[in-house]
Amino acid sequence: MEYIDPHIHMVSRTTDDYETLARMGCVAMSEPAFWAGFDRGSVESFRDYFRQLTQFEPKRAAQFGIKHYTWLCINAKEAENVSLSREVIAMIPEFLSAPNVLGIGEIGLNKNTKNESTIFLEHVDLAVKYNQQILIHTPHLEDKYQGTRMILDMLMGDSRIDRSRVLVDHVEEHTIQAVLENGFWAGMTLYPVTKCTPQRAADMIERYGPERLMANSAGDWGPSKPTAIPDLIMELKRRGHSRELIRRVVYDNPVAFFSQSRQFLPLENS
Amino acid sequence: MSTDPKLHRRSAEEILADEFLQARSRILDLAAFLDRLERAPGSAEQEARMRLLAEGLEILCDDEVGKAQRVQLLMSRDYDPAWQTKYGIH
Repeated sequence: MEYIDPHIHMVSRTTDDYETLARMGCVAMSEPAFWAGFDRGSVESFRDYFRQLTQFEPKRAAQFGIKHYTWLCINAKEAENVSLSREVIAMIPEFLSAPNVLGIGEIGLNKNTKNESTIFLEHVDLAVKYNQQILIHTPHLEDKYQGTRMILDMLMGDSRIDRSRVLVDHVEEHTIQAVLENGFWAGMTLYPVTKCTPQRAADMIERYGPERLMANSAGDWGPSKPTAIPDLIMELKRRGHSRELIRRVVYDNPVAFFSQSRQFLPLENS
Repeated sequence: MSTDPKLHRRSAEEILADEFLQARSRILDLAAFLDRLERAPGSAEQEARMRLLAEGLEILCDDEVGKAQRVQLLMSRDYDPAWQTKYGIH
């Protein structure tokens, strides 16, 4: 079955992974800007990173027939450095007209601090100013519930935000309901250690239905599995779910969400 | 919350038949983890994380619904609705 991975960090993956993903049915992906495993020292590091995301990765993906999209920001971990964050935010508009940029992301919180919140709001302001969609990172483990509620407070306190153009990622059992009930899109991140298993993601689909719900692999440099979406497809098939329901979560919903960006082009042969 | 019958394809009996061995395996993993702690030198009994695990196990054994959500909330930091005032962010 063809599918789209809406949140995968391909800069962390080998070219062999692109080939495997193509063989498994991946036809498109979106790659949010994230933490590199270390704090970068200057705005020029981010400029190079954004060139990688907008120029190099689309070409690498295209070798295997995969359409590569991306999102730009300085991530929450590095947002503790407020002055660097503001330099990066001021530089992002240079890249917003690149043909594979869908919006601003993955912005969010990490340890739920004041500085992270300040920079989150400045990213939101940038997205509104340039009419960009937003992709949101919610914290992990014990910080997730608090951080997700804080993020929703900030988004819902801004009347300029069109909630149908915001994807809140890494939802789990204790955060998914608030995200969906308030009109946002929700993404479940499938991860072998922390975050969510394919089985629990299938449970959430059964509990909340497929509307405004997606799944992704994260596929980063930590213990992660870039082919996690095919695992979810298998789990849903095993439970007897229809092809229509599965396709809605892994293909139709990403297309519907991404299509709100003028840079997203219809996929061929689908 | 969906009540769409199309989203609930299997009966409880079918789910138990399909997934009993996986659930058995996970209980054994947890039991072995507790045995490992018991055998090791030192004691973790007074650690807050041990209390969280014990409370999580109680949730698994009670009669209430929404166990995964309740375990998640048990393991979560509290949310303060007045956080924006405390941070001076509006």
